[in-house]
Amino acid sequence: MVFNSLTFLVFFAVLLVLHHLPFLSWRAKKVNLLIASYVFYAAWNPPFILLLWASTIVDWFIARGIYAHRDSSRAVRRSWLVISVAVNIGFIAFFKYGEFLLQNWQALMQAFGITWVAPEWDIVLPVGISFYTFVTLSYTLDVYLGRSKPIASFLDYALFVTFFPHLVAGPIVRPTQLVPQFETPKQANRDQMLWGLGLIILGLFEKVVVADGGLSSASDTVFGAKAPVGFADAWLGTLAFSGQIFCDFAGYSTIAVGTALCLGFALPDNFRMPYAAIGFSDFWRRWHMSLSTWLRDYLYIPLGGNRGTEARTYRNLMITMLLGGLWHGANWTFVAWGGLHGLYLAAERWVRERSGVAGDPAGPWNRLALALLTYFLVNITWVFFRASDFGGASRVLAGMFGLAAGAEPVLPTIYMIKVAVIVTGILVVQWLMRNRTVEELVSRAPWWLTGAVAAVMLFAVIVAQGSGEAFIYFQF
Amino acid sequence: MAPLHEQDVVTVREIPDTRFAAIGWLVLALVVLGVAAWEWKMRSLGLLAGDLEDGKSAWAVERRKLESGEHDGVVLIGGSRILFDTDLDAWAEMTGKRPVQLAMPGMNGQPVLKDIAENSAFAGLVVMDVAPTQLFRPPGGGNPAFAGVLDYWRDEGPARRASHRLEILLSEAFAFLDQNYSTTALIDQLDLPNRGRIGGPYMFPWKLSEAGADRQHRLWREIETNERLREHAISVWMRMQGRPGPPEPVVAAICADIAASVAKIRARGGDVVFLRPPSAGAYRARENAMTPRATTWDRMLREAGAFGIHFEDYPAMRGLELPELSHLTREDATRFTRAYVGVLRERYVGLRPGAMLHPGA
Repeated sequence: MVFNSLTFLVFFAVLLVLHHLPFLSWRAKKVNLLIASYVFYAAWNPPFILLLWASTIVDWFIARGIYAHRDSSRAVRRSWLVISVAVNIGFIAFFKYGEFLLQNWQALMQAFGITWVAPEWDIVLPVGISFYTFVTLSYTLDVYLGRSKPIASFLDYALFVTFFPHLVAGPIVRPTQLVPQFETPKQANRDQMLWGLGLIILGLFEKVVVADGGLSSASDTVFGAKAPVGFADAWLGTLAFSGQIFCDFAGYSTIAVGTALCLGFALPDNFRMPYAAIGFSDFWRRWHMSLSTWLRDYLYIPLGGNRGTEARTYRNLMITMLLGGLWHGANWTFVAWGGLHGLYLAAERWVRERSGVAGDPAGPWNRLALALLTYFLVNITWVFFRASDFGGASRVLAGMFGLAAGAEPVLPTIYMIKVAVIVTGILVVQWLMRNRTVEELVSRAPWWLTGAVAAVMLFAVIVAQGSGEAFIYFQF
Repeated sequence: MAPLHEQDVVTVREIPDTRFAAIGWLVLALVVLGVAAWEWKMRSLGLLAGDLEDGKSAWAVERRKLESGEHDGVVLIGGSRILFDTDLDAWAEMTGKRPVQLAMPGMNGQPVLKDIAENSAFAGLVVMDVAPTQLFRPPGGGNPAFAGVLDYWRDEGPARRASHRLEILLSEAFAFLDQNYSTTALIDQLDLPNRGRIGGPYMFPWKLSEAGADRQHRLWREIETNERLREHAISVWMRMQGRPGPPEPVVAAICADIAASVAKIRARGGDVVFLRPPSAGAYRARENAMTPRATTWDRMLREAGAFGIHFEDYPAMRGLELPELSHLTREDATRFTRAYVGVLRERYVGLRPGAMLHPGA
C-alpha cells in the first residue's frame, strides 16, 4: 500500500480510530498495530508477507541465541551471527540480485570463452526487502556487538520490525530508537496529531505535486531518450531528477514520520536540507541519514573506520560507499554512483587533512560557492543513479559536458520552465533552511500563515490528483 | 557513558509551539472553499460527476472477467474507436449478450488478441477494431496510461484494487476528479513555442470521452459543442498522421501474428471478427494514403482467413457524424453499433436473442 493512495487514507483512518479506543488495553492496541502493519505490507503482494515473517522470526531466535552465548567464545557467537546474515542477505541475494549475479556470471564465462546462457529470472522483487532486512540485521548486530540486550517481548520486537510507517522505505530505525516507545501506552495528544497531519500534508505535497507532477516528466523524457541529448536538455533532465528523487524520498520519509506521530510515536528524521550541504561528509549527514548512519555503524566502523592507516581509511570508505551503492539496486550503475560518492568523500578528506580546514569555510559567498560545487558534483552522480545503463548515462553526461553537438532538443518548453522554477525554489528553500528545522520555522511563523500554506499544499495535492505512483525507493 | 549518536537513544520529536487548533480550522475552511470553487469551475468546463476514470485498474477489472467466467462470450478489443463508437446497452438489447470492453484509447488490439489467444481459455467471439494507422505501425509507443497493462491485470494487488473502488465512489460525487483536468495536465497543456520538432504535451490528445460502468465510453459532449477542443483534437490526429506509412516487413509481421492468434482462438471453438469503424475527411484520406485498404485490411483478413466489417461496405455505417474526424457522436455511436451488431447477428447464430449456442457459433 502506498501513502499516496485512497486505500491508505481509509486504512489510516480506521487504524487511528482503533488506536484511540479508550477501552482497549495497550497490548491489544499493539496487536492492532502489528496486524495493521502486516495488512499494509500484504496489500501490495500477499505472498511476500512470508518473507517478512521469516526474517522476523530468524532474527528473534538468533539474537536470543547470541545473547545466551554471550560468555562463550567469539567463534560461537559469530556462528550464530553468520546464520542471521546468511538468511537475510540470502533473501536479498535471491530476490534482488539473482538475475544480476547470473548475468555477470554469464559475462565472466564469456570472457573466458565459455558459452553459458543464464536462465530466465522472472522474479518479482518484494517491496521494501532492503529496508526491513537492514532493520532486523541492526537488531541482531547490536546484540552481537553487545550494544543492547534482546528485546523481552516478541510483540514489541515484531512491531519494531514491521511498524508500517517505516516498513517499506525507512527511515531505517534502530531498536534503541523505537522499541522503548512500545513499552508504555502511547497516544498522540491534539498538537501531536495535528502536527503529524501537517507533516503528512507536507510529504504528500513533495511527492504528488513536486516530484510526480512537476519534475518526473522532464527527467523521464531526458533519461528515456535513445539519441544523444544536448547541453540544456541533459542538465535540465538531471536537475529535474535531483529534485524528483529528493521530493519523492523525503516526501515519503516525512509522511512516515507524520503517520507515526499521529499514533503517538516518534521516528527520526531522514533528510536535513541535503542540497545545502557544503562538502560530501556534510551531504551524507543530511541525505538518507538513517542509511548513512547504518552503513557507518555496521560496515565502516567494523571494517576499521579511520582507526588504521590512512590508506586503510580510504579503503574502508570506498568499500562502504560501493556496497552502499549496490544496496540501492542490482546494477553496476548504482555501484558507480556509490563509487563516485566514495571518491568525493575520499578527496574531501584528503584536502581537509592537508589544508587543516575542519569546518565550513569562512564567508557566506565561499560557503555558497562550495555548496553549489557540491550540488554540481552530486548531480553528476545522479546521472548514474537514474540511467538504466552506462550507455544512457554516457549519453546524458556527454550532453552535460557539451559533447553532444547537433543533438536534437527533447524537452518541451513547459517542462523546462517547470524544472527551472521548481529546482531553483528547492535550492533557495534548502539554503535558507540550512541550519533550521521545519519545527522552528512553524514556531516562529504567524499561525495564520502556517495555516494558509498548509491549506494551499493540501489543495494542490487534491487538484493535482496523483495517480498513486509508487515511491522511487520502493524498488530498492 | 553518554550515547555517541542520536541512533543510540529513543527518538523524541519536537512539536512546534503554535496555535494548532486555529490552524486546523483555517486549513479545513480554506480547503473546503477551494475544492468547492474548483468543482464549480470544472463543472462549468463540462466535466460531470459519474464520469469514471479509465486506466489500467478499470481495464484489469474487465480482463479478469474473462478468467472468472463472468462474461457472455463476447469481448471487444482495439483502440478508441470501438471503445467510443460502441453502445454496450444496444449490444445487449440486440443479442442478449453484453460484451466485455477491453479496447484502450491510443492502443491497438494486436497485443490483447495475442494475450487472449495465449493466456486465456476464452472461446467466444472477439471483435477487434482496426484503426489502420494505429494497428499497422512498428511495435512500441501507445498510450502511457495503459503501459504494461497485460502484466498489470494479473499482478494488481489488493491495495490497488481497493483504491480503484474508492476512486469510483468519489468520481460519482465529484466532477473535478479527472486526470485530463488535473493541475499537472492543465499546466502541461499550455500552448508555448517549442524548440525544433518537439510537439510537447500540448499536442498530446486531451480529454475525448466520458466513461461509465463496464468501461462504456462515449465521445465527450464538449467535443461536439466546443470548437476549440474539436479543432485541437483534429490537429493532433493530423499531426500523428503526418508520419510515413509502415514498411512492408512490419505489415507482414503484424498480419502473421494476428493470423496465429486467430487460429489459436478458433482451434478451441471461438472466433475473431475485425471491425473498421468510420473515420472522415482529411484524416480518412491520410489513413488511406498511409495504409491503403488493399495492402493492410484486405491482406490481414486474407492471411487470417477472417471475416471483417468495413464501414465503407455497409450503407448503414456511412454518413455518420464524426465531430473530430475519428469518433462518432454518441447518437451515431448507437446507430453504428446497431448496424455492425446486425451484421454479426446474421453471421453468428449464437448472437441471436435467446440463442443457447455460444456467440462464436
